[in-house]
Amino acid sequence: MNKRGSYYRYLNRFGWFCVAPAMVLYGLFMAYPILSSLYYVTRKWKGMTNTFIGLGNFTRMVQDKIFQLSLAHNFVFMFIQIPVMIFFALILAVILNQGIKRLRGAFRVIFFLPCVTSLVAYSVLFRILLQSNGLLNNIMINAHLIADPIGWLNDPFWAKVTIILALTWRWTGYNMVFFLVGLQSIDTEIYEAAEVDGASKARQFFRITLPLLLPVILFSAVTSTNGTMQLFDEPNILTNQGGPANGTLTAALYIYRQAFVFNSDFGYATALSYIIVLISGVFAFVQMRLLGGRDK
Amino acid sequence: MKKGLVFALALILVTTLVPCLSAADAKTLTVWCWDPNFNGSSMKAAAAVYNKAHPDVTINVVDIPENIEGKIEAGLQANGAGLPDITLYQDFRIEQLIQNYPTALVDLKAAGLDYSKFAQYKLGPMSAGGKIFGVPFDTGSTGFFLRTDILKAAGVDPDRYMKSPKWSDIVKLGETVKAKTGKALIAYDTTSFDFLRIMVQSAGAQFFKPDGSLNLRTPAMEKSLAILKDLNDKGILYQAEGWNNWVSALNNGDTAGFMNALWMIGTLKSKPENAGKWMVIPTPLLEGVPGAQNASNNGGSSWYIFSSSPNKALAIDFLKSTWASPAPDALEFYNTILKNSGAMGTYLPSQKGSNYTAKDEFFYKSQPVYKDFAAWMAKVPVLMYTPNYNTMRAAVANATLALFQGKVKSVDDAIAAAEAEYKQTVGQ
Repeated sequence: MNKRGSYYRYLNRFGWFCVAPAMVLYGLFMAYPILSSLYYVTRKWKGMTNTFIGLGNFTRMVQDKIFQLSLAHNFVFMFIQIPVMIFFALILAVILNQGIKRLRGAFRVIFFLPCVTSLVAYSVLFRILLQSNGLLNNIMINAHLIADPIGWLNDPFWAKVTIILALTWRWTGYNMVFFLVGLQSIDTEIYEAAEVDGASKARQFFRITLPLLLPVILFSAVTSTNGTMQLFDEPNILTNQGGPANGTLTAALYIYRQAFVFNSDFGYATALSYIIVLISGVFAFVQMRLLGGRDK
Repeated sequence: MKKGLVFALALILVTTLVPCLSAADAKTLTVWCWDPNFNGSSMKAAAAVYNKAHPDVTINVVDIPENIEGKIEAGLQANGAGLPDITLYQDFRIEQLIQNYPTALVDLKAAGLDYSKFAQYKLGPMSAGGKIFGVPFDTGSTGFFLRTDILKAAGVDPDRYMKSPKWSDIVKLGETVKAKTGKALIAYDTTSFDFLRIMVQSAGAQFFKPDGSLNLRTPAMEKSLAILKDLNDKGILYQAEGWNNWVSALNNGDTAGFMNALWMIGTLKSKPENAGKWMVIPTPLLEGVPGAQNASNNGGSSWYIFSSSPNKALAIDFLKSTWASPAPDALEFYNTILKNSGAMGTYLPSQKGSNYTAKDEFFYKSQPVYKDFAAWMAKVPVLMYTPNYNTMRAAVANATLALFQGKVKSVDDAIAAAEAEYKQTVGQ
């Protein structure tokens, strides 16, 4: 009995020893910043100086119309771009899985490449392509599709379209790869049985593929939602710090501007980021319930 | 196994410490600036002068093209890690830096720099609490640049507008050029507030009241916005999104001109095929506004030394012997950078240099542009920036774009929108 006790204690200590480095890192880089943010958020900062204002940052945030505008932009991007992207990714995955068998590897690479390019590099390039006198406008004018150049970067509406286009271009391939993997785990016997029963390809897609892929779609949706809530690089570089007159300003970009461009008010920026975490959490919860709840 | 582990740890420790030891090199200075055609090349010229007397000192001029202020702020938050010894910083933003980081910069007045020899209007933004922090660099004296070849193609005689243009003259010119050549007269950067700033400041109006509160309802501001809207409605503005697009529009001849400060000359000269085509006329007059002049200011920056620098004494000596020195070598380099980069310094003894009155062959009919810019600079009033200048700038730029796109109907609404956005962002 005694020997078993000491062995148990040895295992216990050894376990803690193995986990200790990870816990130290977690404490330093996750727990400590979160705890110290409580100190930051109750003060009004100006660079290195600060004054205590209690919940002042939160009352200011409630009246901040620009923050509300930036959140609205986040939601616009989320509700339009994510379904479009998942739809395209699904179609591409199905085509690659069932259609083109020979060059599948090459196509997979081609579609996946956009998401491994540098965010800054591709934003700069897109910005050059989408200028008023840039390549895209020139092509469309020469093909007589439009008469005047479209203000991709100048007009608040088209700037949002630009961001959605850029995001879709970048992330469709990434999600397509996940769907490809998911598709390959579906038993082909199910499809054969459906063929025998006389189901069309479309019917098979909606009745067999989609339901079985639901866990992967849920994963894509949740990660894309998180990513879109934190959208920063594209509005910052592609549409120049939040687009024409705050037309593509997102919450994360607004936080950055409050913290580093305007008057270095870190307390207010921290308060804003609490809200983003809250919203991301709510979305993840809702999506898990809607899409993942049925299986369990 | 245990020995191997200890040895590996020791190796890692040593290799990470060695670079730290060699970093405190006594004879190297790092300088940050952002325009290799202009302030970068000027600083390199200064470094060459210093190296004649001190050949063992290495001065690295690093080009930081984007967001130098963000990088500096990040370095200051990290207690000086990654910061250079000397940096260039814009005058309109330095008050914000000094307010937020009071101990970040070295007090150069205490280090013995003689400030009486500099143009006094530069000293305001860089002073706080009896200390003065920077070495004034360039002036942002503005003018209206025109492409004479496009004017001639529109049937306009380039010599007609030399004396005191008014904005109504410019509007007429814009209409003529547009009708005859289809090109817009003015390249306008939609992301930047500079154009409006030049117009408002030409009447000596400030954006803030002396107590620091916002001051947008001035006659200068209202007239400027009205003229801008008129220019836009008549198609006289070429709307470029961002600096690069704007520079390519004016350098490639997509537009017939632009309005900005003389520090653009370096960028213009980077296209030698445009030699002989550019001319400069005075900043147009804002008619009907009291105090309006044919002169304005846009920008201007100064050199600052960080307190976190390990080579403070060397940096102070370098700046004193080149930028603040009456020695013939130093004055000669001020003369050279004027011609080569369009960098007009604010060190008063340097303004006797030969290039200040010389003709510049790059310009149409070898116009002695620097004489003109120096004369205009003398008319510029003291400018009041404040730590909130950057916030105001964003709010006004957004309101101006909204006015162009018809989102707000009148100038009054645009000013109200700018005030509202400013209040929201600052949190009042």
